[in-house]
Amino acid sequence: METADYKKAGWLALALVLLFVAGWEIYWRNQGFALSFNDDESLWAHTRKKIYNVAPGQPVIIGSSRVKFDIDQETWKKETGHQPVQLALVGTSPRPVLRDLANDPKFKGTLLVGVTEGLFFAADGSFMEERAAKRLAFYPRWSLSQQVSFHLNQVLESNLLFLDEERFSLNALLKRLPIESRPGVFVFPNFPLKMGYMKADRQEVFSDAFVADTAVQHGVQYVWRYLGMLGNKRGFSGDTLTNMMSSVKASVDKIRARGGTVIFLRMPSSNPAWAAEQQSYPRELYWDRLLKETGAPGIHFTDYPELSKYVCPDWSHLSPADTKPFTKDLIRIIEQKNHVTLRKTSATTKIQ
Amino acid sequence: MVFNSYTFVLFFILLLVLHNLPFSWKIKKINLLLASYLFYALWNPPFILLLWLSTVVDFYMARLIAVTEDKTRRRMWLAVSLVLNLGMLSYFKYGGFLLENFTALMASMGIAFQAVKPDIILPVGISFYTFVTLSYTIDVYRRKFAPEPSFLNFALFVTYFPHLVAGPIVRPEDLIPQFKEPRKATSYQMLWGLFLLSLGLFMKVVIADGWMAEPADFIFSLPFPVNPLDAWSAVLAFSAQIFCDFAGYSTCAIGVSLCLGFTLPENFRFPYAAIGFSDFWRRWHITLSTWLRDYLYIPLGGNRLGGFRTYINLMITMLLGGLWHGASWNFVIWGGLHGLFLCIERLFRNLPKKQKNPSLAEDMVIQATLIPIRSKNMSNLFLALFTLFLVNITWVFFRSPDFGSAMRMLLCMFGVITQGPKMLATPDMLKVAIVTVALFCTHWYMRDKSVKAVFGNFPWWLLGTIWSIMLILIILTQKSTSSFIYFQF
Repeated sequence: METADYKKAGWLALALVLLFVAGWEIYWRNQGFALSFNDDESLWAHTRKKIYNVAPGQPVIIGSSRVKFDIDQETWKKETGHQPVQLALVGTSPRPVLRDLANDPKFKGTLLVGVTEGLFFAADGSFMEERAAKRLAFYPRWSLSQQVSFHLNQVLESNLLFLDEERFSLNALLKRLPIESRPGVFVFPNFPLKMGYMKADRQEVFSDAFVADTAVQHGVQYVWRYLGMLGNKRGFSGDTLTNMMSSVKASVDKIRARGGTVIFLRMPSSNPAWAAEQQSYPRELYWDRLLKETGAPGIHFTDYPELSKYVCPDWSHLSPADTKPFTKDLIRIIEQKNHVTLRKTSATTKIQ
Repeated sequence: MVFNSYTFVLFFILLLVLHNLPFSWKIKKINLLLASYLFYALWNPPFILLLWLSTVVDFYMARLIAVTEDKTRRRMWLAVSLVLNLGMLSYFKYGGFLLENFTALMASMGIAFQAVKPDIILPVGISFYTFVTLSYTIDVYRRKFAPEPSFLNFALFVTYFPHLVAGPIVRPEDLIPQFKEPRKATSYQMLWGLFLLSLGLFMKVVIADGWMAEPADFIFSLPFPVNPLDAWSAVLAFSAQIFCDFAGYSTCAIGVSLCLGFTLPENFRFPYAAIGFSDFWRRWHITLSTWLRDYLYIPLGGNRLGGFRTYINLMITMLLGGLWHGASWNFVIWGGLHGLFLCIERLFRNLPKKQKNPSLAEDMVIQATLIPIRSKNMSNLFLALFTLFLVNITWVFFRSPDFGSAMRMLLCMFGVITQGPKMLATPDMLKVAIVTVALFCTHWYMRDKSVKAVFGNFPWWLLGTIWSIMLILIILTQKSTSSFIYFQF
């Protein structure tokens, strides 16, 4: 082949790639999808770095998906003047992150810990625990090169919808092919494509299509059912639970000893999910014991009519319209019940 | 910095612009050197000091070796270089391993020895640049290569970013002469280099990371036995993953270098179509196998000291080759198995050859075949498949976290443990099967060909279409920042 032919091949390749990228982007936009950021290791590490610059009363949030969906960061910012640092990780136990923050002597802030019992009390070494541990392991290894890549990637992700790895990457799309799997193999179910999206500040939001279409909501409910959320199998007890409680207490004590604040949050769930959770994790055996053993305050949604009046469309998370009043009420309750000032103008006082 | 990152895209564009501006050749080389340090420092800046130390010491040791006539003093200067380079490598790579084994040895003798586990971070690419600098001082000692008078050329030879962290392991004669004259990529080199970069990224991002990493990582991380089919799928997935990961890196490196006007040596030549293990090592990580041959196997005596010593030398070379890959007994076993297979192959080759008469059965098979297959091709195909089978067995030790896990995996693969659960979903198994067959067929077809010759014969529109498909799949896969497996070595 002559050099001229290589040039032609190069130009053809470039033209085809540009044509494809434009067509692919237009196709997904026309399907009604919104831009969503990838909740990857770099974004988590970038957010993790922010904990050292928090103002008094500006909280750091850890937990799983419920605090990511239900606490509306914009509302929080409007109400308090601070945007919380959202470190919660979907489908994980927050215990490793709590431990990590407790072992970081530079962290002395206010920590809100989301408690979804099935995840919070997951066994050491379980998938839910390991997933969180992987993020923690990545953070100190986040190289300068990866940081530069992250910032370049943010620019691209802010503009190109198809760069949503969880929904539109090749592997994600291949996983949606209707290929029957071998009997006996656990295959993680797919959430509906139109379920929701994530903002750059790691705020999870249900999409308009999800809110409007009960079929999409049923799709998510199917996933919860498949994953056993409706089962009534009792969680860990005995020494395993005692050890978990001791380890959480140790972490809480470390943070409080440095002047920090830890508040546990039990976010709403509805209908069969809430019923199953009451069976598997009776409040007195888990939530009450957690507060008693750690000595940390907690807010359980059932204790407050203003927090328990909502119905979660997927049984597990609030709809976007509900997250706003919910967040306002939550801020007010945290301040009133726990004597913590979250608003920008005042100095934070310690929990008594 | 990794090739599959946005940082590299930005870095490479800026460097290409700089390299093509009308600066003097010396300025361009300084640009390349500084860019190479930046490329390395973006991982872990302090480790650049080790690179400088190795560069400075070897530059001056080589000069002293060259001007010294006294044999003892020459040996002493060489020893300084060897001790420094191998000492750094030993400390950073094998420090923890040695201490762990020493503690175990003491315990086996009933001596309670407790040492604090050293918290040593392995500098990226130390195994590669150590071998690069060692080849220089040893070649100067052997008077095979005159010491480079220009420190800039030598520093660039050691640090040149395309090969710095994961090879190809260059020799002085590969690269230093290229730095002496001004170089700029021709249009052809630039285009071919970009094509190779795309091909390498396709192998790494799409096949290794996108398709093969997940099933391999998942099964190899399980602490319990699995179904035989799952075990085989995981091993085949890793087999494809490690080839596409490492050959992908080498292809990127060669392509990137070509865009700057420099040629790097070939590192892979379709190894999964190798017929026998000596053929495999002429095709897999060629720059390492030739390095081990020239600086270890031959100095040990090679095949010049009789049959028995040849086998011993082969085993020593492969055991140390295994250990080069990592501080773990599993790598030693991996190297040992390769050494053993090389010895067995050599033993068979050295058997007195009988006059060959095609058997009746063989003739019948050939006559019954509709496709005109020559008997030699058939037997070669079977030998290649058998070699690949054995190579896959060795990968079990290479990939498993410890000896127990490797043995468990082998027992699952060969049906000794059959009760393990099925773990992989059908789509994952299909991906592994398709990639394995495609990889073997490609390697078999390309066995005696080169990428350049094959793609060079395509019409431009076909090359352009294939190129665009690779790029589109890279964009769609979106796994952009994961590290290359060989960085850890």
